[in-house]
This record gives sequence, structure tokens and C-alpha cells, in this order.
Amino acid sequence: MASAQLGGQGWSMAGRSLTALIGGYAAAAGLATLLARLLPVERVEATAWGMILSFLFYAAFGLWAFHEPRLTRVAAVIWGAAVVAGGAALLLGVRP
Amino acid sequence: MKGNGVRQSMAWIHGWLGLLAGWILFAMFVTGTASYFRPEITRWMQPEYRPHAVPQAEAARTTVAWLQKNAPHDEQWTIYLPTERTLSTRAFTRARPNPDPKAPRAPRRPEVRLDPATGAPIEARDTRGGEFFYRFHFQLQLPHPWGRWLAGLCAMFMLGAILSGVITHKRIFADFFTLRWSKGQRSWLDAHNVSAVLALPYHAMITYTGLITLVVMYMPWPILANYPKPTAFAESLYGDTAGQKASGQPGRLADMGRFVEAASAEWEGARVSRIIVGNPDDASSTVTLLRTGEDRLNARGASITYAGVSGARLAASPAPGPAVETAGVMLGLHLGWFAGPLLRWVCFLLGLTGCAMVATGLVLWTVKRQRPGAQPFFGMSLVERLNIGAVACLPAGIAAFLLANRLLPPMLVGRADLEVSAMFWAWFGLAALSLLRPVRRAWIETLAISALLFAAVPIADLAMVGAFPTDGLFVAFDATMFLLAATLGFAAWRTAVRPARAARPRRRAPVTVAEVREAVDVA
Repeated sequence: MASAQLGGQGWSMAGRSLTALIGGYAAAAGLATLLARLLPVERVEATAWGMILSFLFYAAFGLWAFHEPRLTRVAAVIWGAAVVAGGAALLLGVRP
Repeated sequence: MKGNGVRQSMAWIHGWLGLLAGWILFAMFVTGTASYFRPEITRWMQPEYRPHAVPQAEAARTTVAWLQKNAPHDEQWTIYLPTERTLSTRAFTRARPNPDPKAPRAPRRPEVRLDPATGAPIEARDTRGGEFFYRFHFQLQLPHPWGRWLAGLCAMFMLGAILSGVITHKRIFADFFTLRWSKGQRSWLDAHNVSAVLALPYHAMITYTGLITLVVMYMPWPILANYPKPTAFAESLYGDTAGQKASGQPGRLADMGRFVEAASAEWEGARVSRIIVGNPDDASSTVTLLRTGEDRLNARGASITYAGVSGARLAASPAPGPAVETAGVMLGLHLGWFAGPLLRWVCFLLGLTGCAMVATGLVLWTVKRQRPGAQPFFGMSLVERLNIGAVACLPAGIAAFLLANRLLPPMLVGRADLEVSAMFWAWFGLAALSLLRPVRRAWIETLAISALLFAAVPIADLAMVGAFPTDGLFVAFDATMFLLAATLGFAAWRTAVRPARAARPRRRAPVTVAEVREAVDVA
């Protein structure tokens, strides 16, 4: 079913796959890092929670990237989440 | 891809995730399943080694005596004490870095395996043993760090495939009980569903916890948010271990057996799994002992650090909080060290259902796309051939690895590497040869060859070791080889008696909305 739909949509599919694979990782890493930085528990605990949950974030972003039909929306949300979460984590800096 | 509902899109992505990572995932499932028996495989592969069980404290003493004779000025020793399953001591040593910055780095020394009773290196045929399967499972025989990254990527695909597969599934409970033989595509789908759904909690657990085993490599960013020095995270997990600088003054280690007994007493009799000695010839040497993870779910055991010369207790790892405990339990669930013999066999069988899930999923991808009388398109041929190469030929490689262990002369130089070469030559060689045969014949013949090679393993064991095995481990191992041979033979026979593809009635490509929906549900 899918292969017929994909004719002539190669670039769009490539963009979507890259967004899922790399953007999804960046967004998951950003969210996990922000969570680890902000969770009001001991730093070793906060770090571990961020790491444990990161793959769930990644899987959710990756799958949603192939569910949402509008590629612009996919790219905006995933790359946006990566930039916002990653930027916030950078601005906050290392936990004092 | 973009059907109306979430089930359609998830069915689509499930197929692609499973296909793209499937061949590597199959190899990871097979070698990972074998790794449940890592020490046992090593023991089978060194049949002449007859160990003498001694108390842990005694093993620690003999090992340190050997290390003091052979690597006295090293920066660090790591000693894995024998367990009821390994029966031998393993030791790694790390040389001091050359003070001259231009000097080349000292090469990492290989692992030494010692007889715990005598402290002498084990005199038995050289082999990678079960360690080979264990390493291949997450390093894929590729240079560091690419193998680990690729394994992680495939695990991530697997996680996506499991989640999307569950969402796709409408009748998850009913499919638990449904297996219709000899119905073409329907049978393959049922087989895929039964193997996947039956052990679904296991598959989800083993995939997620697998990612957690290497999380520090895959997802190090949360550490950077909380620690100015990334190594401080590990220190806060394990307590401050062996971080001491050498003083430059010579010092002599106190009796290692006393350290083992003291730590074990503090852990209410639990065993020591590992000893790390920092700067063993220095006055400021440290001895860190790690608690075994074999008697509890959390594989990341507690640790205690002592001063090496005076024996004073310096530090102990803090009690883990909920997140660290969770991560430790995830690690433990993946490694399965906690499992006693019966549970270990259950884990092994669950691992085999994982192999079956991946294999049937790969076959299903091609069966779904076959059209009667049509020439297979290029992608179809590629997938069919890769399926044969992965699913039917990898077992031949594993059997060749075990056969080489029995057939190569025990004292041959470089035999450990030759065993590994035998595996890859058999695997890729058979896959290359199978290209010469039509697809159906190739399936039947490669499966039959794999079955014969597995059946040959116990025969070679009897012939080369000379005596009928009386040790339960050898009996169980050889029996398992026969069972694997029978399973592969059965698969070859089923493929052979199956009606030829062209003769089978097939539905057209779905055209109506109802048919599309049905096709999607079937996916």
C-alpha cells in the first residue's frame, strides 16, 4: 500500500525520516537533559531519571513523525522541541 | 503511510522499522539468547579444563600472587572472582601511561583466565568461548564504537516496532491463541503474532533494558546538565573508587583474602563479584570490592573501598535512590544473572521466541508482497535473499564456530581467531552460495545444511573428546544442539512440503476501502 503512495515523494520521505531519526534524538536528548536539570531531587537521581526516560521520548517522537501527515508540522514540532529544550538546558547551565 | 487512523500509520512504520533493522536484530537476538549461557558455553569449549572449586578469599590470594609476579607495576588490576558458573578467575591489567607524552599508548592487555586453586593461567585450548556471543550481541564484530552505535540504533528500531506493533494490533488477546498452519500468509502472520504477543512483555523489557545497558554512551547529555566533570556521575554511583593518585612511595598490599572476607561479612555473606586494585605497588594503593548481582534483581551491586596497605575502610557506595535502583534492576533484567538454572532456561526459550518473532516478521514482509505469476521486483529479491542469509545461514555460522572448537587441534596457535573466522566464512559463504539457487530451494537447502551442522556438533564432541559426557553441562549442551538441529530440520521440511508459490491462489492487490482496511488489519 505504501510504496504506491510514495512515488514522487522521495524527498519528503527523506526529510521525514531524518527528522524522526536525528531530530527525534535531539528532541529526546533535549527533553531528557532539561528534565535531569530541573527535577527537584538529588542530582544523581535526576540524571538517572532523565536517562531512563530518554528512549521513551525518542520512540514517541519517532513514531509520531510517521503518523502526522503534514511534514511541516512534524519538522516544526520535533526540531522546535530540540531547539527549545536543548537551548533551555544550555541557558540554565550545569546544576549549581 | 498516512492512512486515516493511527493503526494504519503504525502498521506502515512497523513494517519498515522491522524490515530495516530485522537482519541485524535477528543476529542480536540469536547471540543474545546464547549469552544467557555465556559461562557454560565457555566451559563446553574448554573440555580439558577441570577446575577445583576453592573459597573466594583463596581465589583472590592466588590471583594477586600471580599478578604481583607478572604485572607488579601496573596502574590498575581488575579481578573477576570465580562463581559457581565460571569456575575460573578472570583478570585484566592496565599499564601505567608512559610519562613521555610522545610515546605510543601501551596496548590494552588481553584478559587472563586463571585457575582459582593455583593462580596459574588455565591450560586448555584457546577460545573466545561464550564471550564471543556476548560481545557480538552488542558490538556486532565492528570496530569500536560503531558496532555499539549500530546495535543501539537497531534496538531503537526494535522499540519503535514493538510500540507500533502493539498499536496496530486489534485483537491482541485473541491472537494469543491463534495459529493456523498451512494457510500461506495467514500462517506467517499468526506465527509472527504468536511469537510476538506470547512473549510481548519479555520483548519490550529486553529491548528497553538493552538500551539502558549502554545509556551512558547513547544518552550522556543528562550527565552534562548536572555534573561539571562527567566522571563525577560514575563516582556518585559507585562511591569514590580507586580515584587515588599514586604517592610514588612503594607499598605492599595487605592480604587480599581478608578484604574479601571483610566485604562479604559486611554484605551479610553475599559474594564478591569483582575486585579493582588501584596502584597495587604504591603506598596509597586502593582495593575496591563490588558485590555480586547474582542474588538480586539489581545487577549494579554495592561497593566498598579499602586502603590497600593498611586495610582501613575508606568508603562505600551510597544506598541507591529510586532512579538508580530502577536503572540497576533494568540492567539486571537484561543480563539475567539473577536467574537460577530453571529460570535461565525460561529466559533462553523467551529469547528464542524473539528470534522467531524477527524471523517470521521478515518472512511475512515478503509473503505479503508476493503476487502470483509476477516477477519479483528488485526490492523483493533483495529482501528474500537477505532473509535467507540472515535467518537460515547465521545458524550454520554458529554451528561452524562450535565445530571448529572441536575439530581444530587444541594446541594450534591462533585457534581462537580461527574459530571466529570459521563462523563468518560459514555464515557469509553459505549466504553467497545460496544466491546460486532459486529462492525456495535456497531456503530448504540452507536450513538443511544448518540443521546438519548443528547435528554434527555433539557428534564431533563425542568423537574428539573421546569419552561419553557424564558432566550434566556437556549432556545438556549436546542435547540442545540436537534440538536446534531438529528445529532447523523441521523448518527445512515445512518449507519443502509447502505448495509452490505460483500454484497457490492469492488475492489481488486490495482496491476497495474495505479491502485496504482488511489488509492493514492483517499487517
